[in-house]
Amino acid sequence: MINLTINGKAVQAPEGSTILEAARSAGIYIPTLCYDKAVEIYGACGLCVVEAEGIPKLLRSCSAKCSEGMVVNTESERVVQSRKIAMELLMSAHDGDCVAPCQLNCPARTDCQGYVGLIANGEYDAALKLIKNKIALPASIGRVCPHPCEKACRRQNVEEPINIAQLKAFAADMDLKSDSYVPEVMPATGKKVAIIGGGPAGLTAAFYLTIMGHSVTVYDMMEKMGGMLRYGIPQYRLPKEVLDKEIAIIEKTGVKLVNNVKLGVDFTIESLKAENDAVIVAVGAWKSSSMRTPGEDLEGVYGGIDFLRAVIKGNAPEIGEKVAICGGGNTAMDACRTAVRLGAKEVYVVYRRTRNEMPADKLEIDEAEEEGVIYKFLTNPLSFNGEDGKVKSITLQVMELGEPDASGRRRPVPVEGKTEEIPVDSVILAIGQKLVSDDVKELELNERGNIAADQDFFTTSIEGVFAIGDATNRGASIAIEAIGEADRCAKAVDAYLNGQALDTRVPYISKRDESTIDYSDREKKSRINPKVLPADVRNKNFDEVSLGFTEEEAKAEADRCLECGCREYYKCKLLSVAQRYDINPERFKGEMPQKYSHDENAFIERNTSKCILCGLCVRSCREVMNLSSIGLLGRGFKTDVSPAFSLPLDETNCNNCGLCVQLCPTGSLTEKFNLKKQVPLDEEYTEEFVEIDGKQSSVLVSRYNGKILRVIPNDEISRNSGLSRAELQAKLK
Amino acid sequence: MRIVIGQGSCGIAAGAEKVRKALLNTNINAEAISITGCIGMCYLEPIVDIYDDEGKLTRLVKVSENDAEAIASFVESGDASAVEKLVVSDEDSEFLSKQTRIALRNCGIINPEKIDAYVEAGGYTALKKALCDMSAEDVIEVIKTSGLAGRGGAGFPTWFKWNAARQSEGDEKYLICNADEGDPGAFMDRAVIESDPHNLIEGMLIGAYAIGAKHAVVYVRAEYPLAIKRLKNAIKQATEKGIIGENIFGSGFSCDFTIKAGAGAFVCGEETALIESLEGHRGMPRLKPPFPAQSGFWRKPSNINNVETFANVSWIINNGGEAFAAMGTEGSKGTKVFAVTGKVKRSGLVEIPMGKTLKDVIFDIGGGMKTDKPFKAVQMGGPSGGCIPAELIDTVIDYKALGATGAIMGSGGMVVMDESTCMVGMAKFFLDFTAKESCGKCIHCRIGTKRMLEMLERITKGEGKEGDIELLEELCYSIKDGALCGLGQTAPNPVLTTIKYFRDEYEAHIKEKRCPAGECSDLIEYKIVADKCKGCTLCARNCPVNAISGTVKNPHVINTEKCIKCGKCYTSCKFGAIVKE
Amino acid sequence: MDKKPVDLSLLYGVLEEYAAVKGSLITILQNTQEIYGYLPREAIELISEKTGIATSEIMGVGTFYTQFRFEPVGKYLIMLCQGTACHVNSSELILQTIKDELGIEDGQTTEDGLFSLKCVACLGCCSLSPVMMINEDTYGSLTPDKTKKILKELREAAK
Repeated sequence: MINLTINGKAVQAPEGSTILEAARSAGIYIPTLCYDKAVEIYGACGLCVVEAEGIPKLLRSCSAKCSEGMVVNTESERVVQSRKIAMELLMSAHDGDCVAPCQLNCPARTDCQGYVGLIANGEYDAALKLIKNKIALPASIGRVCPHPCEKACRRQNVEEPINIAQLKAFAADMDLKSDSYVPEVMPATGKKVAIIGGGPAGLTAAFYLTIMGHSVTVYDMMEKMGGMLRYGIPQYRLPKEVLDKEIAIIEKTGVKLVNNVKLGVDFTIESLKAENDAVIVAVGAWKSSSMRTPGEDLEGVYGGIDFLRAVIKGNAPEIGEKVAICGGGNTAMDACRTAVRLGAKEVYVVYRRTRNEMPADKLEIDEAEEEGVIYKFLTNPLSFNGEDGKVKSITLQVMELGEPDASGRRRPVPVEGKTEEIPVDSVILAIGQKLVSDDVKELELNERGNIAADQDFFTTSIEGVFAIGDATNRGASIAIEAIGEADRCAKAVDAYLNGQALDTRVPYISKRDESTIDYSDREKKSRINPKVLPADVRNKNFDEVSLGFTEEEAKAEADRCLECGCREYYKCKLLSVAQRYDINPERFKGEMPQKYSHDENAFIERNTSKCILCGLCVRSCREVMNLSSIGLLGRGFKTDVSPAFSLPLDETNCNNCGLCVQLCPTGSLTEKFNLKKQVPLDEEYTEEFVEIDGKQSSVLVSRYNGKILRVIPNDEISRNSGLSRAELQAKLK
Repeated sequence: MRIVIGQGSCGIAAGAEKVRKALLNTNINAEAISITGCIGMCYLEPIVDIYDDEGKLTRLVKVSENDAEAIASFVESGDASAVEKLVVSDEDSEFLSKQTRIALRNCGIINPEKIDAYVEAGGYTALKKALCDMSAEDVIEVIKTSGLAGRGGAGFPTWFKWNAARQSEGDEKYLICNADEGDPGAFMDRAVIESDPHNLIEGMLIGAYAIGAKHAVVYVRAEYPLAIKRLKNAIKQATEKGIIGENIFGSGFSCDFTIKAGAGAFVCGEETALIESLEGHRGMPRLKPPFPAQSGFWRKPSNINNVETFANVSWIINNGGEAFAAMGTEGSKGTKVFAVTGKVKRSGLVEIPMGKTLKDVIFDIGGGMKTDKPFKAVQMGGPSGGCIPAELIDTVIDYKALGATGAIMGSGGMVVMDESTCMVGMAKFFLDFTAKESCGKCIHCRIGTKRMLEMLERITKGEGKEGDIELLEELCYSIKDGALCGLGQTAPNPVLTTIKYFRDEYEAHIKEKRCPAGECSDLIEYKIVADKCKGCTLCARNCPVNAISGTVKNPHVINTEKCIKCGKCYTSCKFGAIVKE
Repeated sequence: MDKKPVDLSLLYGVLEEYAAVKGSLITILQNTQEIYGYLPREAIELISEKTGIATSEIMGVGTFYTQFRFEPVGKYLIMLCQGTACHVNSSELILQTIKDELGIEDGQTTEDGLFSLKCVACLGCCSLSPVMMINEDTYGSLTPDKTKKILKELREAAK
């Protein structure tokens, strides 16, 4: 035995061992990407470098042998710098997306590609479970979300984005139709959390904290839970029966819901704090913003959310026949379409820019128009004019578009002297909403008048009190933003309750340069929208406009997904090494070595643009299987892994043994799932045994949600058996 | 009377073969006309040496086939006036007289295609002495005394490698000569093989004897067809004479000899890549350890030295290790051959004792600059080396002293540059080379050199940004540390040395978007100086994009909007009226 | 350029000599290219069959070394030196001249099949820089005018 020291620890290793072997047997981690004991040592990746006292050069620990008395450091500054640069260089030439852009653009990081893909395969149950990892109210959110995911969806570069939000609603509706999924709750921690506000943020935080084993109570001032989802979204968009069912599922996890209690009246933050281990303030923004236009205080001028809430509560005001809505967002759309349904004859939407700049969802804009709404683009209210204290008309300043402003939209500027007057019976101001700051006077507010909460930890000026959602920082936003915060806040509160540190670093992931992506080979398939009630029917009642997807429609729509995110994301060795070092490959941004390409046969998919040239596939195919179906082509930066003459894999002597796939440290070679549509999923792997020609043989089996996704040969017998994956699977007990 | 025509590759390229054919067509006795290799005065090629019957030499330079009759008349009459213009000047003769030739001692003097010529010049006596009078240990001892170090670049003591290979267990060993001279700007090894192939064979056989190898292999780069031809011929002759083969000189020592031609890959100069290539594989370096001395060609103990190293061996055996060690400095013994090229007046092969200065080579022997622009820097060691600036011209030729500048001794390429060479462009040139030649195995070299090249390309295009120099340096140090083989580990040297000595030039490109040398086409503009322009219209006719306008005999003007900066006008103008700014 | 049908019998002699000699792949490929001017796929498949070396490995070796080509080349193969001395002495201008004169880029062949252009590593004739080799002949001390003249002469000679 040889005695050496690794990172200050005395280690013994057998004669002839490499430093890597000695370190591993001592439980010391050294990263490698090109080393595997199945094949000869190669030394390409250089990540296994270590420093040894008295040796000026860094040593590749995969080949350097231990010697008596050697003093090795596997994590010195020089070693870490070398690995960091190696990973930065490697990732600068790795053309792949770890995670799909839809998921990255979702403020809650919902695994859109995952559930869309599962829906395409008819795995609705698994899809719903995946959604519920991030969204507690998917049927509701699926209906109302302005879906930032779809704005990032690359399918729009082919024709139109995937209808992700509606697919989410579909999966959730399927779940609501039968025994709904209630996640398992972890053992009780004995910790108590109070949440003020039962809107999307509060309910989400409650849901996840309860699942973590905490005892959670939600306090809300209204008679029912749901917050803005209930009192700000009209029935025709989100039937309250759907919301009720989803809240009932949350309640089933054990969350206590208390309604009709108001902060500052029935309790204070301090009083809740005294009775709980943590308090989350999620009170929302319940006051309509003012336009500071003369005449706003006239009778017949309503705030947008005040108006919607009144209608929902059954106290619709008398709005008359001519109604003008000011604003271009989704609240304006909700207000105008509600006004139509209340029987108004002329409903105007006054907006100072044009249709293209409207922040509201395009579908909403179109559907409102179908229902008879009249748009007054490029106009801005100068004054609301009244008679006897009641609004009678609006004077509009005619606008034109000037230079782009900070948001990139062209700034509307008044056309001097050009105005217009329209007679109205009522006006609805849908230009935004604000926190009622008196409610939270116990907490420190920021310069905008919102609760100042930490961006990562959600902490406030009072220790143990957290704040999220519309009431905080930059103010009101879309529900999914609040939901994302709530999910992260739940983790922060959990860490706080357990006295643990929270890692808020955003782990590195690889992203493709959008400008380099070629879509020309994609077949065009139009986006499928769920059927809707005819305009002349729906504008007379509050029935849900959308009829939802049929199963057939949902599957077909989900099948349009381009599968941007990498299937190997959950077990990518390359990514796990990359995330260990604080890397910024952008510094070395440059040409990609290979074109994004694709070759597949029945089991194996090759994508050389993700290849890191570790050589494991080529070497194992040659050294272990003695096939050499693939080899290295070219040299230097442009070296490619390919069959001879760049033939497809199917035209080579490849016997689909799958060894290359098993050894590939990234997503360059992947084994296809036993699914029609391929989806990145966090599978569970187990080694199992099958009988082949009377001999026991090892196979690797991956499962997801109970379903077998892949069966991979795992020894010489199974690799050389010539059996297909289906045949191997059939042999499993 | 003997007429000897220098026929190395460059001599032939300069027209030596045409001269030979023309001379054969005169009334000179064909038997008196023979060839020799390269004397190293490449700038004077084609060279014809005429020895009279007393052996007195008349050297004619820059000879063309049209001079054949004049030469014939000189040969016949002995009247030198006919060839007066061709006789080498005293000044040019100094190019040779100031040198000390050991490795090159026969080059350009004897006929490389005839073994007898080599034997006549004292060839194969050292081999005989080694095989018959010395033990292998004695040979290694003499080499140790001589202080001979690997001339391929690294400067590792030759005796140490020989000894390690000798000590290695195994009855089958290989002695390999690395003749894959890939450094652009270096051609010493080519000259030795083309001009004195038997000297290489003799040196190798002595080495094979010393380490106990029965097989000698030469790996020659494919770009040297003439060297391959002459070496094959020499092997054939030596085999016929029993100098290669079984029981050489009755000593009981046997050794066979093979040539393998490379196929175009610089990385094969790295010893483990060379071995991979010899075995018929992609020339991708192996991990060390194990070192070739333990496990090399066909996994057998192997020793690899370069051509120039072997070319010194027979001289050392004959003259003793002390004689060799008497030349040079404390740490660097003997002589070193340099291929001096670029903007130097006299370019060619220079062999001088270690310890001389760069100034001795470039100015004293090389004659200084061939342009009117001042000396700026000398690039040594090719893509693995660096640029040494004018202020370090007194640096002594010594492994350590040169290493201290950030450059290396290297294999001997010395490219002289004047003020018109952009140093960022020079770094880019070498990185372009290494990036193309990287085998692609390790990350640092494969991607690192490419990214460095991209950064340098950006800088020379005027797209450099603050922080680029620091980022380049960070990447350089990391590549030196992390690359698998010598190619990658030394690839950053040209960048590091140019940053070290010419940082202001990098800054000018990055901050001022200006190329001080006026070489980076994206950063310059061509203009016509009206006073100097004669209106000859030549530039306008040469301009591929019709960017130049003007009438005959009147000053022309360049439309800078249209100009693509190809430089054709600049090179075509006979009046120096076009300037770069 | 159209590829001529490949007469594999021309290769038998080479394979007879080297197929069984280990480590001879590069030599075999060099001989093959000598025969056909490039490495035809059919020849590679035959070499694989006779030597037992997988085609992927042969292609791996063939594409690693710059000497090997997989497409036929023109009658005149111009190899322009990219060495340091040539660079310092403006080989870039020579490259541009050749490109302009022939209308081809590095690695391409003219439509008439007369010229192929290939930028190569240092030819070792640094004192004559800039240098190019056309087939077996070396041309040194090039200027754009001299280069044009050489190409013109070769074009004439081919008529």
